[in-house]
Amino acid sequence: MKDADEIDAMAAEYALGTLDSSERATVAARRLREPALDAAIIAWERRLAPLAETIAPLPPPPGLFAGIEKRLDGAAKSVGEIIDLRRRLRNWRIAAIGSGALAACLAIGLVVGTLIRPPIGEFVAVLQKDAASPAFLIKVDMNTRLLTVRPVAAPREPGHSYELWLVNARLGGPKSLGLLDERAVSLHRASTIDKSVIEDATYAVSLEPEGGSTTGAPTGPVLFTGKLIPSPI
Amino acid sequence: MDSLDDAERTPAGDGIAPATSADLTALMNRVAQGDRRAFATLYAATSGKMFGVLVRILGRGPAAEDALQEVFVKVWERGGDFDGAKGSVIGWMATIARNRALDDIRRAKTSGAVAFSEDFEPVAETEHPLDGRERGEALARLMKCLDGLDDEKREIILLAYYRGVTREALAGRFGRPVPTIKTWLHRGLAQLRECLSS
Repeated sequence: MKDADEIDAMAAEYALGTLDSSERATVAARRLREPALDAAIIAWERRLAPLAETIAPLPPPPGLFAGIEKRLDGAAKSVGEIIDLRRRLRNWRIAAIGSGALAACLAIGLVVGTLIRPPIGEFVAVLQKDAASPAFLIKVDMNTRLLTVRPVAAPREPGHSYELWLVNARLGGPKSLGLLDERAVSLHRASTIDKSVIEDATYAVSLEPEGGSTTGAPTGPVLFTGKLIPSPI
Repeated sequence: MDSLDDAERTPAGDGIAPATSADLTALMNRVAQGDRRAFATLYAATSGKMFGVLVRILGRGPAAEDALQEVFVKVWERGGDFDGAKGSVIGWMATIARNRALDDIRRAKTSGAVAFSEDFEPVAETEHPLDGRERGEALARLMKCLDGLDDEKREIILLAYYRGVTREALAGRFGRPVPTIKTWLHRGLAQLRECLSS
């Protein structure tokens, strides 16, 4: 019961907004792997939501809506990118395995945070915020525990760095795998981490101050996530 | 602006002016289906409210304007997630806006204490939640429960909600140590949850 109260207090403070930056980032990472915490946060957001009715409106400057429409039109482009990504993944899969049935599984599997496992010790993950905006593509060679991270459509964030985290309850807190380059392929080795942990983990990308988190835990918002699932074959 | 005022005083289910509340829900359902004209109407009806939410946390300026754009892009992308049975359109959108603003302000100021945004005018909070004005059912219930809290617990919860400030900033504002603020928050919120579930 005590644990449940603590989780609820943490969820309430997250929803209310009183956590400092590192606490907030920690809770944001934890909710990815703790369904009870995630549900408690959503419940608190709903409890507090009626308060929004009491906030007096302020007219925003004119012209902002045009900018929003521009972004929506730009999003149509990212749909093209995901189709291209799907094609590249499929080509890679066909080259690796030569199985049309698996390629079909891939097409079905390419949703938020889905991974496909070919039978050669390699995994693929798409890290994204939602189905229309893939940001990074991860390939994991389980034999060498080497991660190859390819940026797909990660926006540049001047003055900040993207940092890759491996999140698994068995590790305690999120483990940093290093900084990501939004323009170039980067390699990350997880040689000290158990293979089953690598396989079960959630992969998350947070936005950190330039040079990365100095605390050993994510301090900025978690922008993109993805997770391994067992191979459908 | 009249219709906006009506809309915000008419949360789902209060039966006083169901047209405006139903209008927002109907608009959101059309937005979920990819209707850009409905989206433009939704923006006209709700952007002032969302900007109010954002400016209270981020202050006036480009940060709040960027955040407003992000919020509406997200509303467009996630319109299908809105569930009218679980709350009002305004409440759902404000949750997105607050989360965005909180992520932004915590990212910008990674060091402990976050100050209250300086350009905030207290006058903007004239619509005090406890002024007895007729409200929607969900808000009325929440207000009744907030009213049952000790004054200081109610005040820090409301201030935290409106301004998105940390325990440290609340400690500064109330002249109390951080652990005291944390205790007030935890007790007040637990009491609130209990009251709302009864």
